[in-house]
Amino acid sequence: MPSSHPSANFEQLALPLLPSLYSHAFWLSRNHAEAEDLVQETLSKALRAFDSFQTGTNFKAWIFRILRNAFLTSRTGIAATRTVYLEDNPDLLDIADASPTPEDHLLRLDDEAAVQRALEQLNAPLREVLLLCDVEELKYKDIALILEVPIGTVMSRISRARRGLHQLLQLQLRETL
Amino acid sequence: MTPTTPTPDSPTLHADEHLYVEELNAFIDGELSPAESNGIQQHLEACHLCALRVLCATQLKAATAHAGERFAPSHEALARLTAQLAPQVPQGPSRVRPLRPNAFRWFAWPALATALLLAVSLTVWQHMRQANTLTAELLDQHLATLSSGASPQVISTDRHTVKPWFQGRIPFSFNIPETLPPDTTLNGADLIYIEGQPAALLLFTIHAHEVSIFVTQRAGVLNAMPSTTRAGFAIRSTRTRDLRIVAVSNVNPAELERLVAAVVQAQ
Repeated sequence: MPSSHPSANFEQLALPLLPSLYSHAFWLSRNHAEAEDLVQETLSKALRAFDSFQTGTNFKAWIFRILRNAFLTSRTGIAATRTVYLEDNPDLLDIADASPTPEDHLLRLDDEAAVQRALEQLNAPLREVLLLCDVEELKYKDIALILEVPIGTVMSRISRARRGLHQLLQLQLRETL
Repeated sequence: MTPTTPTPDSPTLHADEHLYVEELNAFIDGELSPAESNGIQQHLEACHLCALRVLCATQLKAATAHAGERFAPSHEALARLTAQLAPQVPQGPSRVRPLRPNAFRWFAWPALATALLLAVSLTVWQHMRQANTLTAELLDQHLATLSSGASPQVISTDRHTVKPWFQGRIPFSFNIPETLPPDTTLNGADLIYIEGQPAALLLFTIHAHEVSIFVTQRAGVLNAMPSTTRAGFAIRSTRTRDLRIVAVSNVNPAELERLVAAVVQAQ
């Protein structure tokens, strides 16, 4: 990045993202100490690689990709990648959308704890894509860059993630009825 | 229901067709072109089922955003991360000589003097620690106001709206300057709690820089706050007869000082 003070530019770009980075790191690692370590490692790596960041591209997507790679090489990340995960092949998965049922109107979407529980139960890769889309409000192309997958895969994961979340909330509702 | 696979050539659906699930997601995620979105809008006006599906999906998206929003770092963690971001100082010979434990070898201090020194050091350390914790907390509060989703509890550029809003909410009163320094705007305010004590957080902008001004009672928790700089942010602490006023911003310190002076003068 052409600047006489690259680290000052980096600070300006990264500072507002600290809470988001930490929150996402926590969702990935499920541990506060590890989340802080991950963000520290991310900042350190990002600063070292800041020369390779292209002005005009999405800095948030760039640094989230570094965070994700830092997680994947951490002990927790390596353990997580051992988990068998269905390929992103829509033909093998039931992603058919269904019409809203009367039961859907009873779903307590305003119950933050219920939605949070469902998010925690969701398959980690699906949760990750949903957090990047709905919480971090990243565009599909940026999510594809972070996850290093094609946009089509992002779209199918988002579909499955929302369907899965919906099913988990329905399950919770039936348990309370 | 028969979902229809979207094609770029025919974004408009017929009334007897329904949105494909990935098209619905792209619509609520703002991923479609204006032409495609308009086509879907028209379809939704005619198709009750798809309108209901979009409504449910939008509600689920909003609930996810809310539930997944934040696992906030502690003040200490945020302060450590913020400190890591401070612009790197070029490496060179350190001006501060490191403390060498061996240097004490030449002094045979009496045990009483050592104990006294320890006690004094502990007091100073505790004072510094408290100030550091407060600095981190105020910086954290300021950073929270910078996030795009944050909106103040009272949004107004009118001091006659902002000041009365605090009536009955805080156990003290304060004034907002009638005339602000050039290119300075009042944006609103928040009621916050610093270590359990209520404080008014006044939000200004100077040029494009956000400024947070914290106002508490003079004898309150901010009494130990020094003026300092942390992670590129200037923290200016001052007091009036009854109030303690602390300003945080990354604006030019001279301009921050002018705004603080105006607030102090208004009291």
